[in-house]
Amino acid sequence: MYQDLSNLKRLYILFTLVLFAILIVRTGQLQLYQWDKYFRESEKNRIRDIIIEPLRGLIFDRNGEILVDNRPNYSVSVVPYEFLKADSAIILLSEILNQRPDALKKKINKDKRGNFSPVKINRQIDFKVLSAIEERRLDLPGVFYNTESRRYYPGGIKAPHLFGYLGEITSAELKKFKNTNYKQGDSIGKNGIELQDEEYLRGTPGVKYIEVDVLGREVRNLTDLGGRSPDPGRDLFLTIHADIQRYLEDVMADRKGAAVVLDPRNGDVLALMSKPDYDPEIFSNPLTPETWNQLVNHENKPLYNRASQSLFPPGSTYKLVLAAAGLETGDINLEERVLCTGAHRLGNRLFHCWKKTGHGEVNFMAAVEQSCNVYFWEKSRDIGLGKWSEFSQNFQFGKLTKIDLPNESPGLVPTKEYFDQKYGEKKWTRGLVLNLVVGQGDLLTTPLQMAQFAMILGNEGVLFRPHLVKKNQDPLTGEVVFTKVDSIQIQGISKKTYRTIKQGMNLVVNGVKGTAKSARIRGVTVCGKTGTAQNPHGNDHAWFIGFAPMDKPEIAFCIMVENGGSGGAVAAPIAGGVLSIYFKNKNFASRN
Amino acid sequence: MLSEHRSIRHLDFKLLTTVVVLMLCGLIAIYSATFVDSQAGQLNFKKQMIWGMFGLLVLVGTIFVPIRFFNKYAYTIYGTSIFLLFVVLIIGTGAGAERWLELGPIRIQPAELAKVGTVLALAKYLSKENCNLRNFREIAISFSLVFLPFLLVMKQPDLGSALVFLALILPILHWAGLSSMVLFVLLAPLLSLVCAFNYYTFLIAMLIISSVLFLSQRSLTFFLINFILNIGVGVVTPIIWNLLKEYQQKRILTFLGLVTDPHGLGYQVIQSKVSIGSGGFLGKGFLQGTQTHLRFLPEQHTDFIFCVIGEEFGFLGIFVVLTLFFYLIFKGLTVASEVKSKFSSLLVFGGVIIFLFQIVVNIGMTIGIVPVTGLPLPLLSYGGSSLISNLVIVGLLLNASRRRFEYF
Repeated sequence: MYQDLSNLKRLYILFTLVLFAILIVRTGQLQLYQWDKYFRESEKNRIRDIIIEPLRGLIFDRNGEILVDNRPNYSVSVVPYEFLKADSAIILLSEILNQRPDALKKKINKDKRGNFSPVKINRQIDFKVLSAIEERRLDLPGVFYNTESRRYYPGGIKAPHLFGYLGEITSAELKKFKNTNYKQGDSIGKNGIELQDEEYLRGTPGVKYIEVDVLGREVRNLTDLGGRSPDPGRDLFLTIHADIQRYLEDVMADRKGAAVVLDPRNGDVLALMSKPDYDPEIFSNPLTPETWNQLVNHENKPLYNRASQSLFPPGSTYKLVLAAAGLETGDINLEERVLCTGAHRLGNRLFHCWKKTGHGEVNFMAAVEQSCNVYFWEKSRDIGLGKWSEFSQNFQFGKLTKIDLPNESPGLVPTKEYFDQKYGEKKWTRGLVLNLVVGQGDLLTTPLQMAQFAMILGNEGVLFRPHLVKKNQDPLTGEVVFTKVDSIQIQGISKKTYRTIKQGMNLVVNGVKGTAKSARIRGVTVCGKTGTAQNPHGNDHAWFIGFAPMDKPEIAFCIMVENGGSGGAVAAPIAGGVLSIYFKNKNFASRN
Repeated sequence: MLSEHRSIRHLDFKLLTTVVVLMLCGLIAIYSATFVDSQAGQLNFKKQMIWGMFGLLVLVGTIFVPIRFFNKYAYTIYGTSIFLLFVVLIIGTGAGAERWLELGPIRIQPAELAKVGTVLALAKYLSKENCNLRNFREIAISFSLVFLPFLLVMKQPDLGSALVFLALILPILHWAGLSSMVLFVLLAPLLSLVCAFNYYTFLIAMLIISSVLFLSQRSLTFFLINFILNIGVGVVTPIIWNLLKEYQQKRILTFLGLVTDPHGLGYQVIQSKVSIGSGGFLGKGFLQGTQTHLRFLPEQHTDFIFCVIGEEFGFLGIFVVLTLFFYLIFKGLTVASEVKSKFSSLLVFGGVIIFLFQIVVNIGMTIGIVPVTGLPLPLLSYGGSSLISNLVIVGLLLNASRRRFEYF
């Protein structure tokens, strides 16, 4: 040997021993000391709990016609780690989805949360695309699809203001439902009934435990670990009368406005329509800022529910409030006549009646029938703002109806205090009051409140809370829970007063000079009151409220066509349509 | 006498058995790791079986070829492997890195051949009669012999394999006669540099360095020069580091493998630790490793094969594998120190260092104490080229062991 290497050998053996000792100690630390931690970690890796979404409850009309249904929807997701490795897969998938490869790649990189969590790249693919993906499965590593359910409207009524829509849960909503079973990416009711009755419609998610590989692909269903099937959401049976709702949606399709139709015997909402509206499906995909801005800033304000959320001056329909007040206080005497010359003088200002030539001498009935402004202006002098405000509030104006819809507005009933505060004490004139009594000025109401007012008049003082849901039902057990309806008896107004007003409303429709002859129905005594509310921003709003039949009303309504023109010419015929559908169906049903 | 030495009786059967057992451990782990892949997995297992059998033939061949032959063709083999490293840079294939040469149905990794070639060339150069390691020229040529393949493999880029060449040079010079003190003086500033970023590690490094210098009983001047040099490195390094722009720092860290993509390599380390840690003392059992079978770990049949053993056979399995490896290295060092021929001694020692480096770095990265660089575990990882080159090294070791009393 050229030199003695035994010392060097010992040095390197020592060196090796030290290195191996480090490896052994570290391995022991992982496998023996920290075994618990890593074992738990590996179990978590292996077993994944998969949430099974429950089927959302269906929505039916009062007669069991299905209005809102679910249908399967396929979405495509990719796992970036596998998918982005192969350019050929990117090109192939972009061909199938008809997207540009670089746009697809950009989207994935934008949305991805880690290389191993799936990124949803298309939320709505049709069956053809689905089969194309399935066919080329082997060439598309990391691509898979999910089945989700999606709302559709077999009755042809999308009515987003009534039903609302579903959208992805926001972080604020997640916080709000912290202790429930919502999770990121879930759909949640965003408006209307979908929001109001979310707790019934949603159901309870189920869970299954599966063994997965690194890409989250199911390897095995671990049934021995238990798991739970989802409970479907409860079906809702609405008070809505599909035929009336459909008629209103159609007849108002190209107009702006709202309509509320009630059953005065119990507060059922037979129809609730607001136009213009929007397609609820646009919310099922994340909304682009442009679409959202378009919706928010659109001059026609399609996002507002005009039936219960938007506020309008009700025009002459509101004269009935002053009529009730005057009849109760005795300031209105049925026989007394007032001369309408076409204008009413207040100080040196002239307030014009809608009929410039004047109505001549009118008594109470004629004033209601022909909607004479001068008569009510005259009378308001005696009755006063105080009584008017009191009766307005008594008729539930300025308050929520507590209908089962989100975002209801209470409206505004001006009082003496209100004007004092707004203009300063004694700084305002009676001209403001003249505006109020004919349903103009600062007075603001919703069409829903006006329909409720019609119900109170028809019922001669009894009010049932307007509601949209008749009952909800468990689709599995058939167990039914009915909505409880509370009622209010309006105080301080006599039957006599109501009957007098009803006679006046009868004349509006059936009188020779009535303003709403187009709402007449053969065989049924319809009562109503028209309104034509001026507004500074455009054409008059056309109003018509009423009920039928006169003695024992079964239907009460409010029709409002925004910028539609005169109430008698525009709104009353729509009410006529509603009434004929209602009574024709009813007669048809009773014959069978 | 000669014929007796060359007979089968002088073959170290214990060592051969150790190697075969390690290969079987690898096959079992590969079988398990690729089991879920069904057909494709069986293909990997079968391929490795075939490579293994072919490799054993090569090994036997290596044993019976006279060492003289390797000495004679050492530079030719080295030259060929360097040439192939150039070729692979031009026409190589592989995902993001040119590592493979396609030869009909098989793919070879020239870097693996270069490992053997470099050890041969170094052993030949350092065993030449007039080799004087006090000569700068000899040192420079030795360094060039490893830098050439290092740079070419770096260029592929394959940091893990490239570092094998660098790891080779100082120990082999040491074995060839470079004094321990010179080696220490060369290595000490590196230690100071690495430890300079933390007050305590630097303090420990300085303690070690100064005590070794003190114990060497050299002159005070020697002590002071080295001590001040190391302190200087330690003080200046953080200053220079902080002067660097962030992207420059990042580039250096990335080069050293200290910064990794959290979703790529970082993920591997986490999953690898979970695999091994969850194995516990006895492991989850053959084919029962959930991490392995659910493919939570990428590259588990190649660079991360150790995790499969850790998960399915536990601490006990790891202990067995490490013991076998230690026996192999111990035997190698013994042969290297006993063999009469300097060429054989350096050759065997170089092989031992290549094994040691690959074992420590590969296992170290699976248990999270060494940055992930991508390096196979010798004899166990899937891959034909690496298996063959490692078996050639073992063959040379067995060959030398048979002829340890021959000068050639």
